[in-house]
Amino acid sequence: MMGEPLSDYKAPVQVHFSPYEFNGGTILAIAGEDYALIATDTRLSQGFSIHSRESPKTYPLSEKTVLGCCGFHGDVLTLTKVLGARLQIFEKDHNKPMPTPSVAAMLSTILYYRRFFPYYTHNLVVGLDEEGKGCVYSFDPVGSYEREFYRAKGSASAMLQPLLDNQLGGKNQQGVERQAMPLKQCVAMVKDVFTSAAERDIYTGDSIIISVVTKEGTKSEQFPLRKD
Amino acid sequence: MSERYSFSLTTFSPSGKLVQIEYALAAVAGGAPSVGIKATNGVVLATEKKQKSVLYDEHSIHKIEPVTRGIGMVYSGMGPDFRVLTTRARKLASQYNLTYQEQIPVDQLVQKVANVMQEFTQSGGVRPFGVSLLLAGWNADEEKPYLYQCDPSGAHFAWKATAMGRNHVNGKTFLEKRYSDKLELEDAVHTAILTLKESFEGQMTEDNIEIGICDSTGFRRLSPSEIKDYLASVS
Amino acid sequence: MSILAYNGAAIMAMKGKNCVAIAADRRFGIQAQTVSMDFDKVFEMGPNLYIGLPGLATDVQTVHSRLKFRLNMYELRENRRIKPKTFMSMVSNLLYERRFGPYFVEPVIAGLDPKTGEPYIASMDLIGCPMETNDFVVSGTCSEQMYGMCESLWEPDLEPDDLFETISQALMNAFDRDAVSGWGAVVYIIEKDKVTKKMLKTRQD
Repeated sequence: MMGEPLSDYKAPVQVHFSPYEFNGGTILAIAGEDYALIATDTRLSQGFSIHSRESPKTYPLSEKTVLGCCGFHGDVLTLTKVLGARLQIFEKDHNKPMPTPSVAAMLSTILYYRRFFPYYTHNLVVGLDEEGKGCVYSFDPVGSYEREFYRAKGSASAMLQPLLDNQLGGKNQQGVERQAMPLKQCVAMVKDVFTSAAERDIYTGDSIIISVVTKEGTKSEQFPLRKD
Repeated sequence: MSERYSFSLTTFSPSGKLVQIEYALAAVAGGAPSVGIKATNGVVLATEKKQKSVLYDEHSIHKIEPVTRGIGMVYSGMGPDFRVLTTRARKLASQYNLTYQEQIPVDQLVQKVANVMQEFTQSGGVRPFGVSLLLAGWNADEEKPYLYQCDPSGAHFAWKATAMGRNHVNGKTFLEKRYSDKLELEDAVHTAILTLKESFEGQMTEDNIEIGICDSTGFRRLSPSEIKDYLASVS
Repeated sequence: MSILAYNGAAIMAMKGKNCVAIAADRRFGIQAQTVSMDFDKVFEMGPNLYIGLPGLATDVQTVHSRLKFRLNMYELRENRRIKPKTFMSMVSNLLYERRFGPYFVEPVIAGLDPKTGEPYIASMDLIGCPMETNDFVVSGTCSEQMYGMCESLWEPDLEPDDLFETISQALMNAFDRDAVSGWGAVVYIIEKDKVTKKMLKTRQD
């Protein structure tokens, strides 16, 4: 018996290239009355492996503006480099650092320029606005952005966000109005929620770095998390 | 032809009796005696284990078998039938354990074994079992010991104390006189040995009787040396 | 899209001091469209035993009735109340019988031992792999959110009133960040000689 014609024909093997990776990491920002706070964990991972335990995902852009950026680390590096260059040009042109709201607006356009091959990054920009009030801007990967009071982004965002809604937004609490939290209390809560997230999310852990922007500038502190 | 029809051999006699079951009970009544006594803190099972020849290696033969960690079984009647029931009982017990992650309670095991025995009085191509069983177990929920009997018909009941097999009538009469609700396990072992002695022919030794005890810690067969100690304190 | 998320649900259970709590949302929807806001997902299986069934609504009801049948048969046969742990095995067995064509539910069990009053909680995947814990269990379409809330709010030895407050806040804030669960909630606080059922009014969006 003859076999089916072309029965032994096999299509050429195609190897698909995937341009994205997910390197985990969680960032969290809170806007206070006269301060803005941004926290990040320091783990960099891929799948079940940990690349680095000392890789913070916050990037100081100027004296009073900090960027939180996580997702695909390759894109994070490129994006921060591009942003750095653009900010340097601005500073040379205008003789002053770019104000935080303008950084946010510019980041939005940078992200949207890559509308059809996006930077795979979750972004938060924190700093002080024109009136000296704390501000937080959150972005989606293609540049849609919004000013908010608090926001969690990255791998453990789903675990952190509802707690922030409750504790900072006063959600589901009757007769409680949203009010700015004192900085000290805020830092304590951030440590708590990150400890909780590190308990369940394998992409969050090792330690957190909390940066606080005030009119005096930016101060950072590190706090250990579980390392497994 | 015979493959096409497979009638049950157990059919009613005109008088309403199932004679096959009566014959099975006769096999039990003619079998080696066994005794079960429930004490306040446990149950004892005891049975005669006489060999036909001195050439048998008597330590390789057991008439009392553990079914689960907490349940043990003894029989009067036909040894091979008992082996089948032991296997079935163990299977049923581990099946229960597999579904509920819990040890089977004695009453549940008794019901399941009795169901098997009943099936053999009504199924085609089989005969009823030629054994009656005594099952001893500890109910962890009620923290109480239980002693059950299971007959070839599938009938089953709980006892305070009972005797089966050869001379069981004398055994029961003896137990009726000796039994007390306040009996403790140690004394129950003695009473069990004495009940066997009632109808025992010849010298009773650690090699021709077997004893199993059950309490809150589980069921176990006594070793010949333990039995020897009991025999020494009885006589 | 996962069949498990077709109707949407959020259920959790927590241990307290001599008490347990189980809570669930009340939404029944078909993907993004909400159909009703009075759908039961938590079922009484005994005086001190409850099961929550998040997942495909049709399977929720089927699994509930088949479980109820098995439980009734068990309690008649054994003439006693089932222990929560034994009940967990029963559920696990029911689900594993459909290993290769599963019911799309991931149950949560909460109860007290009928004799000792010992608190018990457990959860399970859709083919019956059990998980027993000493703090809380969550299951449903917003499990990440629920884990985040429970991990931060729960503490050991909560009294019934505090346990109610904790589980309610944990559940409500979790499902408010989920589009397919919410629309009201129900909470059962189970104590040795008292079960309190409370309905929660929540945001309706």
